[in-house]
Order: sequence, then structure tokens, then C-alpha cells
Amino acid sequence: MRFSAAFCALVASASALSAQTPSRADSVARADSIARADSIALVRELEALQSAAPDSAPRMGPGQGPVNPRLMPDISAIGDIVADFSPDGSTIEGGRRFDIREVELALSSAVDPYFRADFILGISDAEGIAVEEAYATATALPWETQARIGRFHMPFGKQNTTHRAELHTVEYPHVIQRFLGPEGLKGTGLWGSKIFAPFGFYQEVLATVVDHLGEPEEELATVEPANKRLSGLGYSARLRNYWDVSEASNVELSLSGATAARAQPILCNGLPECAGLDGTPGINVRQSLVGADFTYRWKPLERGLYKSFIVQAEYMRQLNQKHPRESGVTGTRVEYLGPARDAGGGYVFSRYQLTRRSYVGGRFDWVDNDQSDNGRTTAFSGYLQFFPSEFSKMAAMYERYKPGLGERAINRILLQMTFAVGPHRPHPF
Amino acid sequence: MKRILKAGLAGIAVATMLSFALPVAAQPPKPRLFVVTSTTDLHDIAHSVGGARTEVIHISEGYQDPHFVEAKPSFVLRLRKADVFAFVGLDLEVGWMSLLVDGSRNPKIRPGSPGYLDVSRAIPVLDVARGNVDRSQGDVHPSGNPHYWLDPENGRRIARLFRDRFSQLDPAGAATYAQNTRAFEASLDAAEKAWAPQLAKLRGKPVVAWHTSWKYLAEYTKINIVGFMEPKPGVPPSPAHLAGLIGTMKRTGAKVIIMEPFYDRKTADFVAARTGAKVLILPPSVGGVKGVSDYLGLLRHDIQQLVNAL
Repeated sequence: MRFSAAFCALVASASALSAQTPSRADSVARADSIARADSIALVRELEALQSAAPDSAPRMGPGQGPVNPRLMPDISAIGDIVADFSPDGSTIEGGRRFDIREVELALSSAVDPYFRADFILGISDAEGIAVEEAYATATALPWETQARIGRFHMPFGKQNTTHRAELHTVEYPHVIQRFLGPEGLKGTGLWGSKIFAPFGFYQEVLATVVDHLGEPEEELATVEPANKRLSGLGYSARLRNYWDVSEASNVELSLSGATAARAQPILCNGLPECAGLDGTPGINVRQSLVGADFTYRWKPLERGLYKSFIVQAEYMRQLNQKHPRESGVTGTRVEYLGPARDAGGGYVFSRYQLTRRSYVGGRFDWVDNDQSDNGRTTAFSGYLQFFPSEFSKMAAMYERYKPGLGERAINRILLQMTFAVGPHRPHPF
Repeated sequence: MKRILKAGLAGIAVATMLSFALPVAAQPPKPRLFVVTSTTDLHDIAHSVGGARTEVIHISEGYQDPHFVEAKPSFVLRLRKADVFAFVGLDLEVGWMSLLVDGSRNPKIRPGSPGYLDVSRAIPVLDVARGNVDRSQGDVHPSGNPHYWLDPENGRRIARLFRDRFSQLDPAGAATYAQNTRAFEASLDAAEKAWAPQLAKLRGKPVVAWHTSWKYLAEYTKINIVGFMEPKPGVPPSPAHLAGLIGTMKRTGAKVIIMEPFYDRKTADFVAARTGAKVLILPPSVGGVKGVSDYLGLLRHDIQQLVNAL
């Protein structure tokens, strides 16, 4: 009797136990059911709340409909106006005292689940409408990679990747203007990047292959185009290294390199024209660039609206092919007029935040002359910036610009205002 | 001798087995979901719901302005392995979020993926713009006021949203998430009962706030915000605005100016000196001041401070 009672108790507890530990499939189904029921309850509760809300307190909730039912892209525009009050005449392109340097029109949107598209058009009196950037970014690639196709700012150096209107200064540093172009270095082709952190800090490798580096030398006529051979295309690579020093400060130290065949001017029999070449004669020579950049930022989190500091330095060296072997021009004596030596240059820039809306900064620039051993351009500039809001900026700049080769120094006074309309764009970092 | 050898070998075998077994038994269960939140408030609620099944980290700190977080590459590293990225939405993170999400190259947290969790979609939002909206109205959030976590009812909604999304991504943990959510809500219920008498003291009391971030707390506590230090959202106060505000405070009897720890209090002190008001620095988020380390603690602290000041 005692045994049978114990057996019954054992069976009962076993069945109770089995009831308490359902199979995995049962468990998942039950969990799904709970989740569904709870979600429905949540939606009903919110709907009830919405219907009960008084008109004076508009409330929205789930099921409020799409924010952008027509799937319109984000459209924004930035106006960049400069004024030149330099005592010895205007020093800006075109010689104007007031100039709409550029209106930048940007459109961006997802194309499909695999690509995002960005278009940036630059509109100016000097250049008309130009495609600044237009690229599709593949957003669904594996192994933490990303790829772009189209035209983009080349990932060479630090400030070159920032649009001119968003710079901390009025103009790009002189080394960027001289080696990469007055509006920075852009290229049309393929862009790839991968992030990794094998040593515990952020690293990123970026590589590009583009049709040509910089602005095409339209006025130079060469026997064959620079991109005829694959070796004549533009190639670049950049390694970014980033560390958080503390909660408030961080350091970035990066290396860049680029190479391409670029047209340089020649003289034929001492004349700026060659038989068989329609236009100013040129020759394709290899030009390479290497660079390193350093950025230190400080911004205390609690006081970050009012205080920040940045110091940035960048060095670039242009490596030029000095003695081109093959001009392609036959039956004539060719004299090479391109860069005769390697040249280096760089800048050191710093900016301190004075108040919530104002900053003071300064920059020292130097660039070697690529034609002569005894020439080096130097410049020192100071800046005051005032931001009425996140969407408008006013800046005043004084620069003492000292060209090499014994030319006299120039004092430059520039004022700038930029203003943006459209959706809030991310703050550049 | 053989016996001793056998006993020794058996001892070694048992010790070896234990050395494998014991650490396993001592280790906590491995998290099933890696969750990154934009703010500390979402972090605490996600942690309450997820428990040991989730590892949760946050990007912004409670003592910084969540509008102006820097898109540091180190945040990209945090996001690249995330199963869920939960954010406040309503453009609170518009200045930095897209750079980080794009930079992370993590398909699990891209828009449209289950790991991309816009928490505002579960919230009845205040201040949804009506009519034409442009920036002449300041740094407006057209889809509504994003500081909704300061109403405990929205805390419950956030918890339920996390429960549902975590259950979708980790069905085996659904029962745990549901249980944790019930526990979170129960603790919130108990806390609300405890501070109900304090809320009664706050009802209708006039105050001035620096930014519109205190509207949800005002809705909950029934304090009456009679004016803002900012003339328009995100726009620093002008002398003309302050003159009008001082008049409003004198007329309504507002004796407290509420502001976040990350704003400069000089202007608030200036107004307080001319109105006899007190400047009350309140943390808008978990971690905003020392000692406020969780969501319930944040609400409790802010309500207690209001009661003390009013």
C-alpha cells in the first residue's frame, strides 16, 4: 500500500514536471503567441489613448503612416558667399570683391535595399553647374566592407574629405589647393573601405581607383590619353587610426598615398605648339603623393556645447617624375616644363571654442615650390567664426601670405557666410 | 602501491573533470542579443527587459546634450556587432546617427531591419508640428518632441517594445523578456504609488524650463510650464526674450527655473536674481548627476527635487 502510494505520487510529480517543461517547439510557439498578444494589446492601448487625446494636445502613435509617402529624396542646399577686403585688390578667383563662391545642392536617398545614392551639384559663376559628387554606396556588403561607384572626394588627407563650405577655415590649406586642387581632390571611379580593430582601436583602410587624379588638364593635348593604360589611372589608399584618449579627447593619425599619370606642359622646338597635337602640348608623367595627418580633439561631454578645442596637422609630399622618357612626339626637340623636383608642404591648424556660438582659430601653411629649389610659400592666418545657429555661419579671416622667390607678402582679409536649408545633415567629424 | 597509484589516477581524473565542469557552472549564461542604445535611459530599460540574455551598451552619456553627440569612430566599433540599435528617434539623433549606422556596415541595424529600433514608433508623441514647418521656428522636431522617456507611462511602452523586439529576435527568451517586463512594470507601479502624494503637491505649480525637454515630465507631474528660457527650440535666449520672460514669471508667480546640467546657468541665474526664483538643475537622463543610475531613480530624483524646490 505504502509502495503503491509512493509510485502514484512519483507518476503524478513526473507528469506535473513534464507539463511544466514543454518541448522547445511548444515553448517557441507560446512565446510567439505571448508576443503577438502583448503587441496587439499595446497597439489597442495606444489607439485608445490617441482617440482620448484632446485636440489641444496632438498625439501621434504607431500606425501614424509613412513620414515620406512619395519617397522623395532628402534635398538640401548650402550657399557659400565670400567677400574680399584685401588692401591690394581682390585675391579670390575671378577678382571679385563679393562672390557667390558656390551653391551646393545635395540630394540623397536609399535606392533599394542594396544601395544608397548621393548627388552633390556645385553651382557657381565660374564653373556653371558641375557634378561635385555623384555616387552609389553599396550598403549590404559582407565583412564590414563598403563600396562606392561614381564621383567622390578622394580619401586622401584629412581636410580634403570635408566639403569646402563645411571647413573650419574659409579656404582649404594651401598645400591642398596646390597639390590637390582649389576645391580638393575628387575622382570618378571605384571606392572601397573596410573597418577592423585587431589591436582594440578603430582602423579603416580606404582604397580607390579613378579615371584620373584631380581636374582634367583640358588645355593640354597629349599624344595619348593618360588613362590609355591601366597604370595611368589614379590610385589611392588611406589607413585611418583612431583612439579615444579619454571620454573628452581623442586622436586620429592617418597615412595616405596616391599615384597617377598626369599631363604636364612641354615645348616643341622651343614653341608652345607641336605638330600633330591640337592645343597646348603636354606629356603624361607619373605624379605621386604621400601624406600623413594628425588630429587631436577635446570636447568635455558636460560642457561640450560651450567648450572644445582641436589641433590638426597635415604633411604631404608630391613625388614628380622629373625626366619623362617618352613624349610620343616625333621629329621635334621636346623641352619638359612640368615640375622639376619633388615638393612638400603642410599646415598646422588649431581652433578653440570661446562661447556656445563663437570660435577663434589660426593656421600656419607652407608649400615648397615644385619648380625651384629656393622657393617656399608660407602663410599665417587667423579666424573668427560665429554660428547664429547650426545652419548658418559667419567667418572673418586675416592672412599674411608670403610667396617664395622674394616676392612681397600679401595681406588678405576675407569674410564668409554659409547658410544651409533642408533636412538636418550629420555634423562632420 | 597499485592501490595508491589507482587512487591517485582516479583523483587526478576527478580533479580534471571538475576543472572542466566547475568553470562552466560558475560562468553566467552567454548573452543572446547585443543591444546598443543611443541614450542611457533606453539602456537601463533595455537592460531591465533583457536581463542576462542581453548585453546592453549606450552611446551618449546622461550628462551630455543628446542632440550634439560626436560621431566618433569608436562608436562605429560598438555598433558593428550589434543585433539591435535602439534610438529615441524624432530626429533627436539626426546629427550623428546616420554616420554611425552607415559606418558600422552592419546589415542587422540598417533601416528596415529588425535590429533598427526606432523607439518613438511606440510612443504617443507631444508637439507634433502642424501646418508649415521651417527653421524660422528654431531647431524644430517636425515629428514631435523627442524627450518622451520622462513620462513613466512611456517607460512602460518602451519596455513592452523592447520585450516584443527581443522576443522576435530571440524567441527562446520570450518568456524571460515577458517576465522581466512584468517585473519592471511592477516596480514602476510601486514607485508611482509611493510618490503619488508628492505629485499632488506639484499639480498646477508654475515653473519656467530652459528647453522643451521637460514637457513630458510636466504632463505627468501636472506642473505648469509658463515659459521657456529658449525663445525657440535650440535658440539661446536674447535680452528681449528674457525681459518678457521675467515679466511672465512675476505675473504667474513662477519660482523655479528647470534646466539640464549641460546648459550654462549664468543666464538662468540672471533671470532668477531678478525674479526671486531658484535655478533647479535636473538630470534629463540616467547618469545625468551622480547617484542617478537607473530609470526609476531618475524619475524619483527629479520628482523629489521638484517637490523640494516648489
